[in-house]
Parts: sequence; C-alpha cells; structure tokens
Amino acid sequence: MTIDRSEIGGKVVLHVAGRMDAESASHFEAQCDSCISEGITSLVIDLGDLSYVSSMGLRSFVAIAQKLKSKDGELRICRLTGLARQVFEITRLSQIFPMYDSVESAVLGG
Amino acid sequence: MPGTTRSLTLTAKPESLGPVTEFVRKGAREADLPELHTRQLELLIEEILVNIWRYAYPEGGSGTVMVTYSIPRPGEMDLEVGDQGVEFDPLMAAPPDLTLDLSRRPVGGLGVHLLRSFARSLNYRRQRGWNRLSFGISANP
Repeated sequence: MTIDRSEIGGKVVLHVAGRMDAESASHFEAQCDSCISEGITSLVIDLGDLSYVSSMGLRSFVAIAQKLKSKDGELRICRLTGLARQVFEITRLSQIFPMYDSVESAVLGG
Repeated sequence: MPGTTRSLTLTAKPESLGPVTEFVRKGAREADLPELHTRQLELLIEEILVNIWRYAYPEGGSGTVMVTYSIPRPGEMDLEVGDQGVEFDPLMAAPPDLTLDLSRRPVGGLGVHLLRSFARSLNYRRQRGWNRLSFGISANP
C-alpha cells in the first residue's frame, strides 16, 4: 500500500493505492493521525487505486472519521471502485461517509 | 484444473497471511476465477485468519492453520480453513447494526458480516479438536 499526500483547493488529499489489509491498515491510520495532530480537521481520501480493503481497513476508516467528527470535521471518500466499493456498500459505510466520484468534487464537498 | 485438491499448513501468525493469500490466488488462477472474485476470496481468507489469531489462539503461541481448496468446476472453488485452537464458531457472532450513525458505530465487528456476504455455503464444525470453517466462492450464476 502506498499513500501520497497532496493539497488541493486548501484540502489535504491522501491518495491510497494497493492493498489495505491487516498488515497495512495501521500505516493508513498513522498517516491520518499525523494529519489530525497538525490540526487538520477535514480529510479527502482518494481510493481510486485501492484494489483491496478488509475489515481491518474499515476499522481505520471508522476510527479516523470519528476523530474528525469530534473536531467538527469530516472524512470524505472519493473514486471507490471494485472490491473496495463492494465492501463499503455491503457494510453501509457508503451511507455514513460523504462519497464522491472525483477528487475535485470531494474537495468542494457539499 | 477441476478435481484438484491442495492443502497448505502453516503456523497461525500474522506473517502467514502473505503465503496463504498467495496460495489461494494460485488456486483462483487454476479455477479461472475473475479478478473481482479472487479479491473477494482473499478477503474471506484474511477475515478468517484474523479471527483465528484473535480467538482460536488468543495467547499467540505456535498453533497451526490448514487451508485446503478444491475446484469442483471452472469458476468455482470450495475451501476449508482449519485450526486446532480454542473452540470458536465465528458464525455465532451477532450481526452488526449497520443502521447506526457514525458516532455510534463500533470500529470493528464487520469481518463476519463480510464473510457472510461473499461466501457461499458457509459452514462451521468442531471435529476432533479442530475448528473447521468451510465455504465456497463462485463466479458462476
């Protein structure tokens, strides 16, 4: 799994690619925690190149989203595809997180 | 190819996830499973192994996990994951409440739900000191 950080339209975007499994989910959570400790309260997560996510990865998404919400922020997810899309839909996390089709629309929000 | 049965026995520890995943991916190629079903299979295997590390061998130690697959016909695989740990039936877990909002959602508890969603004919049995969880995955209608 690789995580690239960029800033688009004043929002921090994490581009997550590859596999988010029992081994790698903690790296994602640590990266998000590091953003939160910088004072960032809204994160855009681009999952367009995420080929795999298990329940261990979902734990991290829920944990980070709860931390952001407690700071009046939010976790926005975009470009879900393939297995990752199925997993978010089956667990109904797709109804909990704001979901977007593109990075640009996620950055704009609403 | 159809009729093939293969088994892999490893120590039940997190480091075994990679070799087991590679083992079932090889089976998926033999069974001619599409990529999406192969990923679903990897997910099923991971959810089961994580439960074994957590609940069947809670003290760590050097337990065994055995993964067996067969290919009844192209596009289908039957699998069984066995361990000799504490008796544990993951199918007894209460279903998660998926209607809760974010602040009330527990961070965990979704693994067995994914297992039930993607696996066919999911079945648990305790047999001569072994937990045996069998299931199928199929790309066929």
